[in-house]
Amino acid sequence: MRKNDSITGNFDWILFGVYLLLVAFGVTTIYSVAYNPDNPSIFSFDEMYGRQLMWVAVSLFLGLLVFLIDSEIYRKFSIPIYIFCLGLLVLVLFMPPINGARAWLGFGSFGIQPGEFAKIGTAILLSNYMSSFNVKQQNGQTVLVSLAIIAVPMLLIMLQPDAGTFVVFTAFLFVMYREGLTFDPIVLKLVNLIPGVKFKSTWVGTHFIPILFVVVFLIVITLIIGHKPLVLDYFPGQVFSGYWRMFAALLSVTVIGYLVMRWMFSKREGRRAFTIAILGFALSVLLTAGVHTAFKSLPYHQKTRIELWLGIYEAEPGTGNVGDGADYNRSRAMTAVGSGGFTGKGYREASVASIKTAHVPECETDFIFSPWAEERGFLGSAVLVILYTFFLLRIITIAERQRSKYNRVYAYSVAMILFYHFAINIGMNIGLVPIIGIPLPLFSYGGSSMMSFSIMIFLLLKLDSQRKDALN
Amino acid sequence: MNFDARRYVIVTFIVITGLMYGIKLFYMQVVDVENWKLEAQRIAEKRKEIPPPRAVVFDRNGKKVVENKTYYNLMMVEEDMVGLDTVAFGKLVGMTKDEVLARIDEIKFGEGKYYNPHTKKKQTNYQRIRPYPFLKELTADEMSKIVPHLDRFPGFYEEITSMRNYPYASGANILGYLAEATQAEIDNDKFYKRADKIGRAGIERFYEVEFRGEKGVKYIVTSARQNNVGSFEDGKYDTTAVQGDGIILGLDIELQAYGEKLLQNKKGCIVAIEPSTGEILAMVSSPSYDPNLLVGRKNINKNYPKLVEDPNIPLFPRPLASEYMPGSTFKLIQALIGMQEEVISHDSGFPCNKSIVGCHNHPNAQSVTQAVQYSCNPYFYAVTRRIIQQGKVKSSFRDSEIGIDIWANYMHSFGLGLKLNTDITGLRAGNIPDSKYYNKWYGKGNWKFSTIRSISIGQGEVQLTPLQLANVAAIMANRGWYYTPHFVKSIGDRGPRIDYTIKNKTLVDRKYFGYVVEGMRRVVHEPGGTAAMARIPNIVMCGKTGTVENYIHGVKQKNHSVFIAFAPMNNPKIAIAVFIENTGGGGGTWAAPAASLVIEKYITGEVKSIEKEKRIMDAELSNWK
Repeated sequence: MRKNDSITGNFDWILFGVYLLLVAFGVTTIYSVAYNPDNPSIFSFDEMYGRQLMWVAVSLFLGLLVFLIDSEIYRKFSIPIYIFCLGLLVLVLFMPPINGARAWLGFGSFGIQPGEFAKIGTAILLSNYMSSFNVKQQNGQTVLVSLAIIAVPMLLIMLQPDAGTFVVFTAFLFVMYREGLTFDPIVLKLVNLIPGVKFKSTWVGTHFIPILFVVVFLIVITLIIGHKPLVLDYFPGQVFSGYWRMFAALLSVTVIGYLVMRWMFSKREGRRAFTIAILGFALSVLLTAGVHTAFKSLPYHQKTRIELWLGIYEAEPGTGNVGDGADYNRSRAMTAVGSGGFTGKGYREASVASIKTAHVPECETDFIFSPWAEERGFLGSAVLVILYTFFLLRIITIAERQRSKYNRVYAYSVAMILFYHFAINIGMNIGLVPIIGIPLPLFSYGGSSMMSFSIMIFLLLKLDSQRKDALN
Repeated sequence: MNFDARRYVIVTFIVITGLMYGIKLFYMQVVDVENWKLEAQRIAEKRKEIPPPRAVVFDRNGKKVVENKTYYNLMMVEEDMVGLDTVAFGKLVGMTKDEVLARIDEIKFGEGKYYNPHTKKKQTNYQRIRPYPFLKELTADEMSKIVPHLDRFPGFYEEITSMRNYPYASGANILGYLAEATQAEIDNDKFYKRADKIGRAGIERFYEVEFRGEKGVKYIVTSARQNNVGSFEDGKYDTTAVQGDGIILGLDIELQAYGEKLLQNKKGCIVAIEPSTGEILAMVSSPSYDPNLLVGRKNINKNYPKLVEDPNIPLFPRPLASEYMPGSTFKLIQALIGMQEEVISHDSGFPCNKSIVGCHNHPNAQSVTQAVQYSCNPYFYAVTRRIIQQGKVKSSFRDSEIGIDIWANYMHSFGLGLKLNTDITGLRAGNIPDSKYYNKWYGKGNWKFSTIRSISIGQGEVQLTPLQLANVAAIMANRGWYYTPHFVKSIGDRGPRIDYTIKNKTLVDRKYFGYVVEGMRRVVHEPGGTAAMARIPNIVMCGKTGTVENYIHGVKQKNHSVFIAFAPMNNPKIAIAVFIENTGGGGGTWAAPAASLVIEKYITGEVKSIEKEKRIMDAELSNWK
């Protein structure tokens, strides 16, 4: 095999192309949102668009640096890099808070968010650790170590506090899932504590991502259908907790599930089917009842926020009447998006999502999707959704063509972090996800996120271009 | 174990998310887009409607009858108020502290509530950030005292508005007035928003669409702090307000004002029509009111209740809606129908047999012309009997049924017993009885001519509006046809409405009119005529008096005085009907001289009959209160 001398020999031009496209869209949107007639040049560094262009230039330069360094270096220095990131996360806790969070490490007027870079450090270390053992060797300890690598920065981020970045770190669970890490040893120990139960393996521990999905689904359903008190015609005057609906639903699903299992399994396994049904039912009831009770004990404004997101009731429209502002940001962003219509209001014609009118707060960062969608309409927003989806799928494709497990774990980390950002950010702009303040990758205004995502992607491109040299 | 298949789980997650977002975006931006657009408009894209001033009205001589005058509203935005000193502010606008607070409350709660289908709750329409008029319709003088101090009271500012003004203070019942549109009107027509003005009576109401013009629309982008940020999409969707074209009336405002003066302290009407065009020259309804009393909300609130409670009912447009018995003026048409039906000829004579019906002393009428001149009651009794009972069938009851329907048909062709298509609201049809009417009243086969004979001389069941009667005068002037009487001569330069240029022909041939018209001339100009007081030097006038007996709840009231006329006899310029209630005198005593003054004024431009004028103007008649 010929060692590839050229830097760009195996360069993935497609990914790079989409990267540039997203960055360009982002800059033009920031130009539209923050346009100041006094400084109309896109290169005016007094304005957001000029500064964003500068960050793009810096990012491309950093990308070049990443390319010039042999990819082995990152692997070798993964622990120091990780520790350096943790150091920054600790350091940032001693900074004065901005908007109630100590997320900014400031050097004069220049500030970075260590949280953004901690994602890269964590991804590199996790890739290194997970590629160091054979899947067959995996046991409870490997899972716990992997979890610890993720959990330490999460803990520090929680102290800032920065809920958005905190949530993004759970993206690594997807990576662990893809690599076949299993919680089975831990789950088995717990399950087998129950007298009379002796499992050799559980589906739960292995397929934790689908399980997680089911858990989230159950929680959402519990909140929605348990919200309204239950009144039955048979018991006039009696009001029951809305939770009984959920209980009835779980019971019927369990019975049906048990019958299906009885039909599928052999007779000897009948007892097992029964155990699974009982356990599943018990766990679900425990979970949903817990969620239901916990929700009821939440403070009013938090409850409202969750209710709004679930669509249990909508905020009262009418400017000046939005109580604690729980729904203000979301409804304004959704108005901007929805009013864009099919073809949009035209470039620099956003009336809702613009800094000048200030109806949508943070419309250059967390809510930047709303000016884009307002000005470009459904055509534009569909293009952006397709572009991001394509970008993510391209990274998965790249990931899957790696021979080295290190490369693959890293690529998946990048894919899943970007996926989280994409899903949460656009989701909250269109009312599908609660408001969690994280930027739209490569699009939102901000140096830290632009640099960290760029480094993340260029490192991926670098690893990919050297994929034929790597062996595991 | 190989976990490569798990990539599909992840790919599925990504693809499903993309699809879900695509669908949701499609739903928001394509399916549900109208709702979001409305929401965006509510939040950021303020649609400001700019109503044009209403169309201006001119009379036939180009004199401005209705114009617009600038007024000011003092607007209030609660959101912008900073520590309002209610005492100082109240002092500035002439209110007490409590009145200021009460007015603010009135604005807040006066906006009402709407049902929000999303929250399933009633919510107030009032918004802190919206401007509402705190004081309305201030004059420039009043406003100039307030404006210099407004900078001490943030949240208040002045806004220009325009209101109607009537330089002549005449013709209130023709012109009508404006009032704020009711909720039903707002719901019915998207043009109107709260506090918009709408024509409430007269031609302002009838020609509402022409009067209101087209609203201009300005789209303004406003920020979350309610500052104007600029026009929306560079004013791409903005339109300018278009004022309606000037409305030119057939009315002669000077004549109108003169007529109103003549009828002061009397109840009655004068309707004058230009026979050759059907244009209404004057339509006096007495008593009337100064139209300036009903300009703007403040004035309406103050004056409207007074006008409603006035026992002389000045708001009632008598010429259009008051139905009177026409009395002897009706005989003209009876004679015409008799000749057309060939039940009499122009030289038929009937003795003045007072045993049938009362009459005054005059020679026996030897012809239609003389019958008109003498206004002989028994003559027209005989004529009408021949029209109603023509002997077409044996039974006199059945014969009367056939006869009265023939008769009624003629009457309809004179514009009687039906609503004229005049361009104003509030018209009434009067009453021309036919067989259906009497069958309902007396029962079929229970009546014949002798039962209903009072209709011969314009009493009984016959009822006409003064406008219809004036139109009869115009028909006489035209010898057999009329244009529908109308007020608006032209809107801009568009000319009269098409249906006002179509001749309505009566069922009586032109040749018969000569005999009647000659009789009308003699009424005024020959000895033995009943309207000698109507004579004007150098003008040949044709007229017919009427003295209408009338009863209220069976109690006889003083007679109404009626006169119809046209002049000059050849090539007539003006046809007129005058109706003065309960004068006690005959048509020749009050109505005829009044009509002659209007004719003199119109034809010669000035009134030389000073004595006559003084007598009419000074008279206090009609049980005036």
